[in-house]
Amino acid sequence: MTHARTRPRPVPPAEVRARLGEPEGRVKDKILDHIDDQFRRFIAHSPFLTMATADAAGRADCSPRGDYPGFVKVLDAHTLAIPDRPGNRIADSFRNLAENDGIGLLFLIPGMRETLRVNGSAYPTDEPEVLARMQTEARQPKLAIVVEVAEAYGHCGRALIRSRLWDPASQALAGEMPTMGEMVAEQLGLDIPPAQLDQALQENYRHLY
Amino acid sequence: MQQTVIDRIEPVAEDVVSLTLRGTDGPLAPWEPGAHIDLSLPNWLTRSYSLCGDPADRERYRVAVRHDPLSRGGSEYVHRFLRQGRPLEVSLPRNHFPLLPAAEYLFLAGGIGITPLLPMLRAAAGAGVPASLVYVGRTTASMPFLDELRSRHPGRVRVAATRRDGRPDLAALAATLHPDALVYCCGPAPMLAAAQAAFPAGQLQVERFRPAARTFPANTPFEAVCARSGRTVQVPADTSLLDALVHAGLPVASGCREGVCGSCELALLDGEPEHRDDIGAPRGRMYPCVSRAVSERLVVDL
Repeated sequence: MTHARTRPRPVPPAEVRARLGEPEGRVKDKILDHIDDQFRRFIAHSPFLTMATADAAGRADCSPRGDYPGFVKVLDAHTLAIPDRPGNRIADSFRNLAENDGIGLLFLIPGMRETLRVNGSAYPTDEPEVLARMQTEARQPKLAIVVEVAEAYGHCGRALIRSRLWDPASQALAGEMPTMGEMVAEQLGLDIPPAQLDQALQENYRHLY
Repeated sequence: MQQTVIDRIEPVAEDVVSLTLRGTDGPLAPWEPGAHIDLSLPNWLTRSYSLCGDPADRERYRVAVRHDPLSRGGSEYVHRFLRQGRPLEVSLPRNHFPLLPAAEYLFLAGGIGITPLLPMLRAAAGAGVPASLVYVGRTTASMPFLDELRSRHPGRVRVAATRRDGRPDLAALAATLHPDALVYCCGPAPMLAAAQAAFPAGQLQVERFRPAARTFPANTPFEAVCARSGRTVQVPADTSLLDALVHAGLPVASGCREGVCGSCELALLDGEPEHRDDIGAPRGRMYPCVSRAVSERLVVDL
């Protein structure tokens, strides 16, 4: 099946800055090259982040990571460790990091409009003292991702304000969606009742560690 | 659960802070020396700490917390992020380490293990029972409450800073022990092992921060019948009873998940359990975070 594609016109890179204008006064000054006490507190209260990596050719990927607040450990002012909990085992991030160690993280705290961005380079580790700090439900992750911090800065809250992300009323949006089972059954043309897929998924979700 | 507010948080030794928690809903639940409470931390973790204040003070609890360099997020949170004035929910006190009547007491504390022994020493001294404390730590700077102990109990406290004094000779202490004395020991695993080697089992009571290193028979699957809800939960060999119950949506509290704190205690109605905890489960009780089943089926009150 072919799909019609649209290609809105591109703006040449050199013109983008001219269109947007210069950054507001202190924006550049607030970029730190390390995790200070304020950012440490932010990470200690964050149960969720998005993690962006790219392969050698620059093909990018972004994945969610989440656990109890503080699941990302600040090993020192320049080093973080993110546990690798069971997921879909596709391991896109690890495959990317093997080719290209660049990483971009966005930390969120429920109820807080501002977010924390941390960029740097990363590699997998199995260091026992790091994994021991990540034990949950008596299980340690097999691997963790060590992030060597190059930049850390707070991001303003406009996107979260506009998106009403933490407004409880926004959760009604989920009710407008089909279930995952319904989506997958339709997308893959499966002859399995969607409710059965949803139940299997629910079973899977009981084992989080 | 009880509502408190953090009245004071102050350093009491290297890497140790004490927290004074004031009850905000009237008097706090009473406790006996040896008891501990669970703190429900803002980062969703639950951690147990021995009460080390004055049991007669019904307005306040005091605990002391050492910052564990391998913290999974409990002691690190207490040290770095808790602040005076913050509300904090705490459990009712539980006591797996009660002070039993004896003709004489010897208390052996290793570092932060002083916490449950502090109110014990005070209670014994208050009751006029001969009691002494041997308090061991790497350096005096790492040992909380030294000044308080020395001023309150002059002549009863012997301090051994191992870097300076070496380790105390427990065998010599055992040789002069009154036959009806009880020994209470709380400290790191090597100290508990030394105490177990030196003193007769019938005279020694220990409390652990972390589980003892032991080996157990291979895990086998079993089923848990929950009498109240009528549910039957399969427990695979690679899953704890606690996790199986939680995954099935049954309400079980948990804390250490290592068989030392007791917060997941369940009433056992039928079946033969295989106790793997370090608390010493009373008859008809079990700790599902570590304990499993000998029989193929357990019936629990859930």
